[in-house]
Amino acid sequence: MSCGTGGSSCETPRRRGAFVVLAILALIFIVLSIFSFLKSRGQVTPDTVSFGPYQAADGKRVFQAYNCMGCHTMVGNGAYLGPDLTEEYKHAGPAWLAAFLPSAGGWPTTAAVRAQLQDPNQSADAGTDSIDAYLKKFPGAAERIERRGGGTTMMPNLPLTKDEIGQLIAYLKYTSAMNTEGWPPKVEVDGFDRRVQLAHGVVATAQAAPAPTTAAPVPAADPVAHGAQLVKDNGCVACHAADDKKLVGPGWGGLYNSKVSLADGSTVTADDAYLRESILQPNAKIVAGYPTGVMPAYGTLLKDDEVNAIVAYLHSLEKQ
Amino acid sequence: MQIEYQTQRLSMRFFMLMLVLFIIQVGYGLLLATQQVDPTVLAGTVNFNVARAEHLNLGILWILCGFIGAILFVGPLLAKREMVAPWLIKLLFYALIVIALWNFFTLRLAQVGIAGWWQGQPWLQQGLEYLEAGRIAGVLVLVGFAILAFVVLRTFPPVRQWNEIHWGLGLGVSALMAVWVFGLFYVERLDLQEYFRWFVVHYWVEGVWEVIHITLVGFLLVLMFKVDIKSVGFAVFWGVMLVWLSGLIGNAHHYFWIGTPEFWQFWGSLFSALEPLPLVFCFWHIYLDAHVNKRPLENAPAFYFILGSVVLEQIGAGILGFSMTFALTNVWSHGTWVTPGHGHLALFGTFGMLGIAAAYFAVPIMRKVTNYDQRLGKLGFWLVLTGMLGMAFAFNVGGTVQIYVYRILGLDWFGGDVARAMGVFKLLLPLFGVVFTIGALVVAYDLITLGRRVSVPAGADVHGASADIHPATRWGRPLSGFEAGIWLLMMWVFGAIITLSLLSFNLPRVRVAGDPTLPYLLAGVGYPGLMLVTLLFVWRFLASMEARANVASTPSLLRVLPAQA
Repeated sequence: MSCGTGGSSCETPRRRGAFVVLAILALIFIVLSIFSFLKSRGQVTPDTVSFGPYQAADGKRVFQAYNCMGCHTMVGNGAYLGPDLTEEYKHAGPAWLAAFLPSAGGWPTTAAVRAQLQDPNQSADAGTDSIDAYLKKFPGAAERIERRGGGTTMMPNLPLTKDEIGQLIAYLKYTSAMNTEGWPPKVEVDGFDRRVQLAHGVVATAQAAPAPTTAAPVPAADPVAHGAQLVKDNGCVACHAADDKKLVGPGWGGLYNSKVSLADGSTVTADDAYLRESILQPNAKIVAGYPTGVMPAYGTLLKDDEVNAIVAYLHSLEKQ
Repeated sequence: MQIEYQTQRLSMRFFMLMLVLFIIQVGYGLLLATQQVDPTVLAGTVNFNVARAEHLNLGILWILCGFIGAILFVGPLLAKREMVAPWLIKLLFYALIVIALWNFFTLRLAQVGIAGWWQGQPWLQQGLEYLEAGRIAGVLVLVGFAILAFVVLRTFPPVRQWNEIHWGLGLGVSALMAVWVFGLFYVERLDLQEYFRWFVVHYWVEGVWEVIHITLVGFLLVLMFKVDIKSVGFAVFWGVMLVWLSGLIGNAHHYFWIGTPEFWQFWGSLFSALEPLPLVFCFWHIYLDAHVNKRPLENAPAFYFILGSVVLEQIGAGILGFSMTFALTNVWSHGTWVTPGHGHLALFGTFGMLGIAAAYFAVPIMRKVTNYDQRLGKLGFWLVLTGMLGMAFAFNVGGTVQIYVYRILGLDWFGGDVARAMGVFKLLLPLFGVVFTIGALVVAYDLITLGRRVSVPAGADVHGASADIHPATRWGRPLSGFEAGIWLLMMWVFGAIITLSLLSFNLPRVRVAGDPTLPYLLAGVGYPGLMLVTLLFVWRFLASMEARANVASTPSLLRVLPAQA
């Protein structure tokens, strides 16, 4: 403290000494940094991860373009409105993500995830095309469907294209594969029901969204009511509104027998044949202003009478 | 004090711009707090991520405005001549406005997923926390920093004649520009991207802003209390050196979980645990410097905000930062509401309050107001201080609940489980946010209209309530060094309790059996205790300073009493 009076004679060497220590610390920091990114670290890189034809490296650009980090955390960094996304792929799997991402405002149902598994990319990546095997493999998806399926989320719908969705899944696959030194910490409290009870003091089923998770065969007494039930069970309403508003896909109100302009410039009448085709092969005719390939094909998922019931339900919806 | 150099007046426009951006930022903050309670508010119009990007960017911009204003005001005094190239400074001012407006339009593009990719770079916006602005704005900011560094370094005397204040500011403005470069390129690997993102964010805050902060606080104290510049220089030198020696490797506390190797946990825990040292040092010095003489406070709001800056730095950056800097505590606090509790206190407290303090110091001088009504400024100070402490309390305790539900119980449904458990604390956030907003509006109104309102008649009471020595607390008596030390110790005791609260999540009783009693109890004592001690300490410190005004106005006969001698 002899320099407390600030004699200039002892200021210069002291500063020099400090800079020397600083340089040593900087050296340590640089050496540690080099070791962090050497090949021997064995860290996964985005150029080695893909989902079907989609690259994780492209997914990172999509992730940044939508500023996902502005609501979610990634490796714990970002905003704290929504959950951490680092291990989302590991928990919920690609098909759940594909069912969720186009219509983020609604939680996917079993049928919506099953529809995604028809996609060969999906079944190849998930390792199965059976929904039961999928839910077993990704318990996070099963838990999400069971508790939230069919309900609304707090997330706004984003105008993601089919390619962007695939790229995002590839990116989340990459972050799930990263070695983050044990973060997020593993949950060690046993039993899902017990954990929910610890959090809220009540049992899990008490506050689950009252959404039927399996498409229970409803007696088709009234085809309109049956159709209304089917569009809920299959998760259609996550994207389609019962009025003429655009959620993700076109609204249904007053759609029947109206003129629809298609993306190729032609116009068709929304008759029974058109509605059937749009359910079974949605990419055959794309409505102007909507992206291709976002809706999965329900060709092999719905029985004939179910399609009829849905069409009957669509007939009943007036323009509002 | 009077204006000595005409170019000091250039600081005025930056202070005014600072206040405007501050108010807009607070508006976004209020929206964010509301959306935390109900995410559907304005969803689709101003999504949370867009509002947050604006909130962070404006926060950085107005803090920089405050720095630039303060540097321009003291620069000529330090150089003993006019600033060079005033036209460049004016250009810098307009560039800042252009950047703020540009960001307003481009950050919104995140809602439709447009980043403006060209040549592998996102030119319009890039969706990285704190660095949301795209490359176009980034390059403009770099030019702005270059202008600032050029003007300051050219105005200063030759390096040989620099004292510690020159060194602090000179290094500060140069490093400000140098560090920013690391944020100007796109990185494909997530771990490497985060590695470089923290270069900018951590080294800015910990390496550059902190240096500018220490230096400006030191010089403002020189100006306000006529403290010996040599002794302040001593404090500035050690403050800056301790900041850099601890903060350089201390950056490792951001490298625990981003995909970098485990050895960072050792280095980060070790060095960033030392980071509070310079803050304790700075804290101690403001006590010493404010007590070199017993003269009354001439400009109370300016000193209030300097004190607030140093105290909130102590608890926000120092204590709360310390509590979450060890790998074993950070593993829980990371990615939860506990983090913004620290962030808000540290960023607004340390840097925001300094900018406001500098404005309160400089604006009356530039407007030639000798006797202004200081009551509004004091009111504004207490409102923003209380609001910010309350918000930090809501963040921290809400975050503790979040850790339990989200990390210990593994429930990741934010709408159904996490937000529901955090309920009360989510509500406290906008509540204290409103208190803060009112304070911010009072401060902005006061500073913008200062000297333009009805002038105060000479001899009128501009200090507000009489600062008589309160019979019960006797808080008007001078604050002794011993007492200040006890207060500081109390803050750190609560800090230790907070650290133990985070640490206790590792206990099998909590982690495996799922019993949250211990962490909840410790957090329930630690956080409110820390906030209350802070509030009371500031109260005590300022009561002792205010009592000087009384002493001054009493007949000179009383001044010879031993208590004041």
